[in-house]
Amino acid sequence: MTTTVESHPRATLRPPPAQQVAADAAVRRRNRRRRSAVVDLLTILVWVSAAIAVALYLASPGAHDLSGTAGIVTSLGIVAGLVATDLVLIMLVLAARVPLIDRVFGQDRAIAVHRSLGKPVLYLILVHGLLITIGYGLADGSSPIGETISLFTTVDDMPLAYLGLGLFITVVVTSLVAIRRKLPYEAWHAIHLLSYAAVAVALPHQLSVGSAFADGTWQRVYWVTLYVVVLAAVVVYRFALPILLSYRHRILVREVETIAPGVVSIHLSGRNLDRLGVEGGQYGIWRFWTAKTWWHAHPVSFSAVPGTDSARITVRDLGAGSRRLGRIRPGARVSLEGPYGLFTARARTAPYLAMVASGIGITPVRSMLEDATLRPGEATVLLRGSDADQQYLWAEVGALAHRSGSELFAMVGPRPSGVDAWQSADDFRRGVTLGSTFPHLMESDLYICGPQVWADLVARDARRAGVPEHQIHQERFES
Amino acid sequence: MRSRALAGGVVASAAVLTLGWQIGAAQVSALNAASPVTNSAGSGSTSSGSATTAPSPSASSSSGSSSSGSSSESSSGSSSSGSSGSSGLSGSSSSASVSGTFDGATTQTQFGPVQVEIVVSSGKITDVKALQLTNDGGRSVQISNQAAPILRSEALTAQSASIQSVSGATYTSQGYMTSLQSAIDQAGL
Repeated sequence: MTTTVESHPRATLRPPPAQQVAADAAVRRRNRRRRSAVVDLLTILVWVSAAIAVALYLASPGAHDLSGTAGIVTSLGIVAGLVATDLVLIMLVLAARVPLIDRVFGQDRAIAVHRSLGKPVLYLILVHGLLITIGYGLADGSSPIGETISLFTTVDDMPLAYLGLGLFITVVVTSLVAIRRKLPYEAWHAIHLLSYAAVAVALPHQLSVGSAFADGTWQRVYWVTLYVVVLAAVVVYRFALPILLSYRHRILVREVETIAPGVVSIHLSGRNLDRLGVEGGQYGIWRFWTAKTWWHAHPVSFSAVPGTDSARITVRDLGAGSRRLGRIRPGARVSLEGPYGLFTARARTAPYLAMVASGIGITPVRSMLEDATLRPGEATVLLRGSDADQQYLWAEVGALAHRSGSELFAMVGPRPSGVDAWQSADDFRRGVTLGSTFPHLMESDLYICGPQVWADLVARDARRAGVPEHQIHQERFES
Repeated sequence: MRSRALAGGVVASAAVLTLGWQIGAAQVSALNAASPVTNSAGSGSTSSGSATTAPSPSASSSSGSSSSGSSSESSSGSSSSGSSGSSGLSGSSSSASVSGTFDGATTQTQFGPVQVEIVVSSGKITDVKALQLTNDGGRSVQISNQAAPILRSEALTAQSASIQSVSGATYTSQGYMTSLQSAIDQAGL
């Protein structure tokens, strides 16, 4: 079996009255219903927005001229372009860190959806260009290549549209997993920011070339409004609020402390940091304003709930960028976007709490445990490390578990080779499972944080054991 | 609930799409209802294949309103049409002696208005100028610019509005022919 890190006298802590437990459960049920209602509503909104894009085209007389192949092909091309435009705007909103989306959905999941839309949107844009060129060519009696040249040279705004296409292709191709891995984060990010340029240069041809959004139509009004709203969301939530926040709280590096090989805790000072509204388990996107680090933003969890004038984050060096963080001098200015994340008590749905953390994944578990109000025996924590070096912050988690009357287990050792398992080789052989570790697994919210592959294996086992999907909480850090 | 969102999304989208289609269809039928005025004017005199047709009394109608120079904006809708510079109309002239510039009616199409002007010299159409061509969007302009020279040379050859429409420019061609026919009627050719 796994080893208990510390035994503690649970008998001295009295369990709360039954009605308190029932009240908590009712609140969680209501919150969950509310969240899922908002998520459903947003999902429906995505569908409807795509439908409106097409419907507005159908509402223009030009769409009803389906005379012959040319008309049909052209119309399909236009529809593809419209849906692509709508989805691109949705992608921008998903990446804009809108508070509502983060609260009900989690920014990490929003980014996952954002990423999953990339390739389909590119295909739609390519189909749009291809079908319209073929359709126009059929109508004019010219070849697709001849038509491309004629569009390029004779129609205003088309050169810009082709530039936009080129930018979209660049952005999506550099985001393909295989290629992105080869690029430094900064290069990828710089290229990715070109998507704003791509959207900007693609806009004129939408307004000037087609007849669907001709000047004075309400179709045009709708699209221009949509662009303005999305742009406003990006400007406000992505840029203006973080700048305001950083200015208001004046965060500075107070101390950089190495707590394990390659792992540093960065102690921060600032004004009214408790007013950041950080919930245990959340993260921020940090930028350290020194000559060597300012151009790299790091998503890092709070490893403690911030006090009035101090906060702490803990980073493991996962790349050249985060390695440099270990050498930051005290006094460096820090800017913050956030706090973000749904890896918090607010996302809970079940009466018990089970937490599994591995490596640097301990940080949100630590602050969540610190922040949560727990009845004795409610929470069980399993800390996982591949070797003794990975036991940083374990003592702190031990103390917090003790304070709240939570059970704490540790599992050290590398994963078995040749088998997909999240356990250590020894414990895997012994038959340790989630069910054997967490006494009330089926009635527990399972919070998983650690390396992606490992965390996915834990989630897989939980699903196989029959834990409902809404009880599985996973923070995805790779952005 | 995934399925709830999916079902809601599909149903709502279908409703929105249907609504859009209905609005579009209504607009098309409104356009079609508006156009017969000009269409009938065009089809009414399809027989006039050549300039040798005997002049009808209607030719005198153009002598009444000879003001509006060449501004095309002044002609509104499909009924009004200003004929300008009807110089050669002196009493009982035959069509052979008709000379001057005649503006056709403005024809509304889905992609914008179309209006042409013909220059007549001794009963012969010597030039067709497009005063307005379909211009809703850059693509329409591209189509217009491609189609206009073809339509013009066809009209000059045929000396009538009975010409082939240019493929890929159906709406421009139809508007062009309708306005051209109206100009020919003005000239009394």
